[in-house]
Amino acid sequence: MLWPAGMRVIVDRLSKTYRDRSGQGVVALDGIGLTVEPEEFVAILGPSGCGKSTLLNIVGGLLGATSGEVVFEGERRSGQPLTATVFQEFALFPWRTVRGNVEFGLEELCVPATERRDRAARFIAMTGLEGFEGKYPHQLSGGMRQRVGIARALAVEPAVLLMDEPFSALDAQTRTLMMEELLGIWERTRTSILYVTHNIQEAVYMADRVVVLSRRPGRVLEIVPVELKRPRHEGQMGEPGFVQASERIWGLIKSQAQAVLVEGRG
Amino acid sequence: MSFARSLVRALSVGLLAIGLVSSSAHAASPVKIGALKLTSSAPLFIGVDKGFFKEFGIEPELAFFQAAAPIATALATGQIDVGATGVTAALYNIVLGGEQIWLVADKGREWPGYSLTGIVVQKELYDGGLRSIADLKGKRIGITTLGSTFHYSLGNILEKSGLKLADVRVVPLQTMPAAIEALKGKQVDAILLPQPFPGTAEAQGFGKILFWAGDLHPWQTVAVFFSKKFAADRQRAVAFMKGYVKASRYYYDAVLVQKDGQPAPGPHYDEVVRITAKYTEAKPEVIRLGFPYQDRNARLLVTDIERQMAWWTENGFMKRTIPLKGIVDTSFVEEAAKAVPEK
Amino acid sequence: MAVERVAARDRAAFLRRADHRLLRVGALAGLLVLWEALTRVGIIPALFLPSPLGVIRELGEMAASGQLIVHLGASLRRLLLGFALGAVAGVVVGVVTGFFSRAEAVGQPLIAATFPIPKIALLPLLILWLGLGEPSKVAVIALGVFFPMAINTYAGVREADPLLVRAAVAFGAGRWSVIRKVILPSALPMIFAGLKLGAGTALLLLVAAEMIAADSGIGFLVLHAGNIMDTTKLMVGIVCLSLLGVLSHWLLTRGERLAVPWRHTS
Repeated sequence: MLWPAGMRVIVDRLSKTYRDRSGQGVVALDGIGLTVEPEEFVAILGPSGCGKSTLLNIVGGLLGATSGEVVFEGERRSGQPLTATVFQEFALFPWRTVRGNVEFGLEELCVPATERRDRAARFIAMTGLEGFEGKYPHQLSGGMRQRVGIARALAVEPAVLLMDEPFSALDAQTRTLMMEELLGIWERTRTSILYVTHNIQEAVYMADRVVVLSRRPGRVLEIVPVELKRPRHEGQMGEPGFVQASERIWGLIKSQAQAVLVEGRG
Repeated sequence: MSFARSLVRALSVGLLAIGLVSSSAHAASPVKIGALKLTSSAPLFIGVDKGFFKEFGIEPELAFFQAAAPIATALATGQIDVGATGVTAALYNIVLGGEQIWLVADKGREWPGYSLTGIVVQKELYDGGLRSIADLKGKRIGITTLGSTFHYSLGNILEKSGLKLADVRVVPLQTMPAAIEALKGKQVDAILLPQPFPGTAEAQGFGKILFWAGDLHPWQTVAVFFSKKFAADRQRAVAFMKGYVKASRYYYDAVLVQKDGQPAPGPHYDEVVRITAKYTEAKPEVIRLGFPYQDRNARLLVTDIERQMAWWTENGFMKRTIPLKGIVDTSFVEEAAKAVPEK
Repeated sequence: MAVERVAARDRAAFLRRADHRLLRVGALAGLLVLWEALTRVGIIPALFLPSPLGVIRELGEMAASGQLIVHLGASLRRLLLGFALGAVAGVVVGVVTGFFSRAEAVGQPLIAATFPIPKIALLPLLILWLGLGEPSKVAVIALGVFFPMAINTYAGVREADPLLVRAAVAFGAGRWSVIRKVILPSALPMIFAGLKLGAGTALLLLVAAEMIAADSGIGFLVLHAGNIMDTTKLMVGIVCLSLLGVLSHWLLTRGERLAVPWRHTS
């Protein structure tokens, strides 16, 4: 797989304030600082309303910051996009087939048609979508749809892959299977991944490090490393390294989560 | 039980009373006359205004329409008893379609030397040299509807000059006021309309009367019709016709008598002009321009009826012609003409 | 308390709706047979309501003589041209006012003010401006189609899923790409709804325009036949109009199924 080494993402004192309807300022993020090393899998976790999606959107160029910056460092192939996003609600274009969806980003990069087809075909195969190229999203199950979402993001071979709670909309069994699949794909591509989730088990299972955010205004509480060997497998869920990391994280956010429960959106 | 009995009794008395009242009112119920606000309806206006119908026991009620065809429909459905309007394809098709109406008397003919329908062209075009029927080739000619008397006149006039209907652009404009407006607004080059419209167009300066249709092609244009029901009521129908014949003679003597080849005003001329102007709502000067010809005793030109039906059939407006006895009944006008004294 | 043994009953049976296919066809056929019989016997006067067989015979005669083609052709030409002009203009205005806020500020009040005017009322004005010929007829049809198209397209554009727009932007789409690849396809269901509305209006306006100074067309045929009291021809005209309406609706529904396979609106 000819994938460049991936870039480092440096988030430096990033803050974001929204103005709500009455003109009041709402601080979503307050001085976030973190680094994603090349080929690293980093999870971002926190209670409801902690700004994790906001952070992802700023990194992905869909939102502007109020202060601070996000910098990408490292080698980049010409024409390679900085980021590509996988969305929680899949965000597939219903009027495009599986192939059409996967090729979308490549179209926007002005990749010529035959090359587009080849690149799309590689990732369609990689995500287990072979035979479904001509199907429309409404003909697919939830899990299949997210595979398309993943294939679409991978097809542009971004420097950093952004994933916003990609498996939250799936049922528990599908979620488990998809997590395994994602890890398998990542082992082959080794792109840097920034993975947002609210599920502690998911974060610990997948990531190298877990960034734990507080409730609003979102601050970095702690960055918890996960000392588990790769490739990851289900059996590791009972290991001390897994349990420790999970308990540490839960300890950090339990009171935060309780407060959010009582007061509404943190 | 006794309640029901007395109810039945009350109902029968009531119905009887209504029956008596209506049968006595029957003789006095008005005769509905459908007509257009045209000079050609003058004899009817005279009859109503001067009480000639009342003289013979008829209470006339004028109902005005915007075009000839609706009068034909109103006759077929019995909404009016008498129709006074142009003889059109619609009328023939009503009879062909199985509904009986009767052609009974003359009410206007295109006739040489008299003005009924005029071919009016734009003043500018006339000044620019448009002077003959042949000059109308390729021009837009406005009429009310296809199948109207104007359509018939136009077709026959063109044929007499060696042209066909297809050589001009016939533009149906639905109503006479719309046709006048279209000429004024230069959306058509010429129109065919009956008096008093041609007079008005010349008086207002936007049109010029090229020809009177009667000078080019005479025919039985306007007639009096009876509905099936009214014709069956022989006594009332003849009474109406008597009033009409009297009015027709009055009209003829006042405006149609010729002196030195021209119609010259006769007795009661000004009165007839005034009455006509009143009912058509046109200016007297315009009315004076000319009155349409009709037989003094309102007799029909029966042979022309056959000729008309043949032309409509040839041109695809009728499927086949009707035998004359199925549509024409001259007995009313004959009886009335004999009965009304000359005074 | 006595021991009971009760079987479960289907108490919702009365809610289920059967197709009654035979009844549908039978009712229509029965009505026609009754109508024909009543006309033959003389209860219905033939002048006022011609018999079905008489109408069919007349239809055959008109088809054989070529008359039918002349009138149908004239009507179809005006209809298609006016419909195409109105639809294209409507879609363009709908997209522009839906996507660009300045255009919306200018366009929305204008459309809201002019839309309620019954287009038939504009016909005399159009004839004054454009003459008695083809342009005024095509123009009034185009106007009648324009409004439902513009309004429906606008709604379709506004309704475009913001998630999909965001996804497109995330993959590098600029303004025109978003319009072409996301806004327009997602507005297609609303556009087709507008087309169906427009088709009804177009037919109505066609007939109205043809009844005022035309010498060909089905509307003219109806008017002319009415004028000369040829009620059989009149019925032929009405049957043609009915068929035109049914055909256009069927075509549009088919077209929608092809163009919008991910959603059926009718």
